[in-house]
Amino acid sequence: MLTKKHPQKWNSPTVKKPINLIVGGYGSGKSEVSVNLARHLVLDETFEARPISILDLDIVNPYFRSREASAELEKLGILPINPEGAQFYADLPIILPQIRGAIQSAQGTLICDVGGDDVGARVLSSLATSFDEATYDMYLVLNANRPFTSDLAGCLKTISEIEFSSRLKFTGIISNTHLMDDTNEDVVMQGISLSEAVCKKTGVELLFVSAEQTILDKINFETIDIPVLPLNRSLLKPWE
Amino acid sequence: MTKVLMKGNEAIAEAAIKAGANNYFCYPITPQTEVAEYLAKRMPEVGGVFLQGESELAVANMIFGAAATGKRVFTTSSSPGISLMQEAISYMAGAELPCVIVNIMRGGPGLGGILPAQSDYFQSVKGGGHGDYRLLVLAPSSVQEAVDLMILSFDLADKYRNPVMMIGDGMIGQMMEPVEFPDKIESPDLPPKDWAITGAKGRKPQVVRSLFLDPYKLENSSWHLHEKYELMKKNEVRFEKYKVTDKNEIIIISYGTMARICQTAIDAVEAEGISVGLFRPISLFPFPQDEIYAEAIKKNIKEVLVIEMSTGQMVEDVERAVVGKKKVSFFGRTGGVVPSPEEVITQIKDMIRKKSKSKKKA
Amino acid sequence: MNNNSKTLFARPEAMTDVVSHYCPGCTHGIIHRLAAEAIDSLGIREKTVGVAPVGCSVLAYNYFNCDFLEAPHGRAPAIATGFKRLRPDMMVFTYQGDGDLISIGMSEIMHAANRGEKLTAIFVNNAIYGMTGGQMAPTTLQGQITSTCPAGRDLNETGHPIRMTELLSGLVTPMYLERVSVHSPQHIIQAKKAIRKAFQYQMDNKGFSLIEVLSTCPTNWGQTPNESTDWLEGNMLPYYPLGCFKDSFAEEDK
Repeated sequence: MLTKKHPQKWNSPTVKKPINLIVGGYGSGKSEVSVNLARHLVLDETFEARPISILDLDIVNPYFRSREASAELEKLGILPINPEGAQFYADLPIILPQIRGAIQSAQGTLICDVGGDDVGARVLSSLATSFDEATYDMYLVLNANRPFTSDLAGCLKTISEIEFSSRLKFTGIISNTHLMDDTNEDVVMQGISLSEAVCKKTGVELLFVSAEQTILDKINFETIDIPVLPLNRSLLKPWE
Repeated sequence: MTKVLMKGNEAIAEAAIKAGANNYFCYPITPQTEVAEYLAKRMPEVGGVFLQGESELAVANMIFGAAATGKRVFTTSSSPGISLMQEAISYMAGAELPCVIVNIMRGGPGLGGILPAQSDYFQSVKGGGHGDYRLLVLAPSSVQEAVDLMILSFDLADKYRNPVMMIGDGMIGQMMEPVEFPDKIESPDLPPKDWAITGAKGRKPQVVRSLFLDPYKLENSSWHLHEKYELMKKNEVRFEKYKVTDKNEIIIISYGTMARICQTAIDAVEAEGISVGLFRPISLFPFPQDEIYAEAIKKNIKEVLVIEMSTGQMVEDVERAVVGKKKVSFFGRTGGVVPSPEEVITQIKDMIRKKSKSKKKA
Repeated sequence: MNNNSKTLFARPEAMTDVVSHYCPGCTHGIIHRLAAEAIDSLGIREKTVGVAPVGCSVLAYNYFNCDFLEAPHGRAPAIATGFKRLRPDMMVFTYQGDGDLISIGMSEIMHAANRGEKLTAIFVNNAIYGMTGGQMAPTTLQGQITSTCPAGRDLNETGHPIRMTELLSGLVTPMYLERVSVHSPQHIIQAKKAIRKAFQYQMDNKGFSLIEVLSTCPTNWGQTPNESTDWLEGNMLPYYPLGCFKDSFAEEDK
């Protein structure tokens, strides 16, 4: 189900560089954000940097990865880059040859869903020579309800751990604070204020806030000047 | 008490710390490695011991040695790793050492796969290692329940001086759910750990062992263990019922995350006027045998449907419980394939259709 | 006993007053005693825990007057690791034979040594499996007859006997590694010093020590006690040279 067109209460997010690395702690919602961002950009008629591809770089976690949404994204005209065949299900540290190619000759816009924590982000280090500052942005997906990113100190520690292991610098924050089905507007607002504090401290931009549509509807965005990405959850548990 | 969002694996790790286990010996294996990664960060914060051993074989023996101190100990692994741990588990059962072992199950046999499965049921509840022994086995179906059962597991291990195993399929370990931890953990009255190895100061030397060369002594020891298992059967049966009413035509028996898929299916068929109840064993040993019998023999129940992520293991215990009073059917997917609610719905509808057909014939 | 009398010889406090099950001429009794004397001399009996192996010394806990754990075959170093990590204030020693330590327990001893677990390992090498009735061990010598190599150990089939102390001395972490023997009074005195030093290093929290003790097995070697000490001297000593292979604190001691 796609987001219904409705009177826009907020600014839509966009990206500025060909390569967009979506990084964060385990369970911050990187994969869900990556899938939704790719979907949003492909449907946004004003967005010109096409084609849009999505690259699953999560080599640490075999469950709930963006590759599970590949089929749906492909239908929308998004190019998914995943391991194929049996390796699709593996947790092997598989870096396909076409990944380096996709990064080096990035045309249009590439959304990279990177594995969790510094452990998952380490894969970027092995590709470090493929990045230069002009071509990439790296965004931290921040969920203030996760144990190691629940306060400013924890977020700064996570940022420095990921920057160390990836050998890349963050350029922005995505505020994606949630509690799965227990998410409410207060949860989202608390997440925004932590994200703003992190941005202030580190000097990077707050790219957008993301949350499910039903929760966003309850928030008054007239006073909040941040782009908003409504989420349609794609990575569901078997009983959902 | 505030809610945090945690992966099952992390929540299990934190629950162990909350229950007073400030040491962790481990070996990495998918899909439970996050326990180790979480505790590598957390153990130093609580002044605990964290050690990555050279194999699951060594790790299980490390917790054997650690358990002898009388402190609360645990480890976690996944199916192939749990097979390697069976040696020490049997020794700990024989030596009556409390410990908690978590199996985040993946598909098997052999190296199998890394996706969720429930195919280690037999290994968990029927012994697993050599000798006359049982583990107390608990199976959570949500991250919150994993936390609660983890804390309970430590109490039960101490209460019975026996290894307790908590089994969850890979989904329990990997999925993210909001959880809360109790601020303070109140353990029930537990027996003193006067068996612990603390040094022969002011007392005679103590030995932790499972060796009894005299067959009569070994037999006595085995019957003593058996008595504990009988006591567990009396005191520790746990289960949950969902939409069990006297309107049910079918009762589903399912545990772990499989039971949650069944709930979704039960809600769906209910909307179409088909009444199905769910009986979810939480303790797999002791098995809720009498309780399942009581549900199965109810007049309204036409058939008992067992659903597992295996080719059929718990179904044998259900058949034993139902003693032929009702037809017991089985549906399972395995190898990491998780049945969808739609597949369960199809099973239910097929059963109802067959029943009404055979009625017409009669 | 009057006031002028002096005790010259007595049972160590760390040994129990029972008759052991060991065969006549077996040197386990001597090695037990050396460990017990070391424990007594350091005054650590009340905080010492031993880990018994599977092998002839499986019942070692009956002879030591201190707490004991009975380990699965080969796993004593893992058991000791778990215990010691949680109770660093206690003294932990493993007592293992060659089948236990080198064959089934090779992985556990190598990794415990390499982690530098603060343990004392007493490793009894008698070139044979004693408990199960004289089968080939990793330490069985070339041509030595056992029930599973009735024509004598064939190096083409089974490789060369493993020199464990040399193997361990290839690791950087272990602190103290020495091979001793107990086939003569002079050698027993040297063995006693080595075992005591290994316990002393543990007391000082210095790291992993292993003392390999060459030992006899008259019953399974099919020899009288005297023949067996001669056999040890004539056959084992040339292949298993005695001496200290590593002592990271030797300089400090001087």
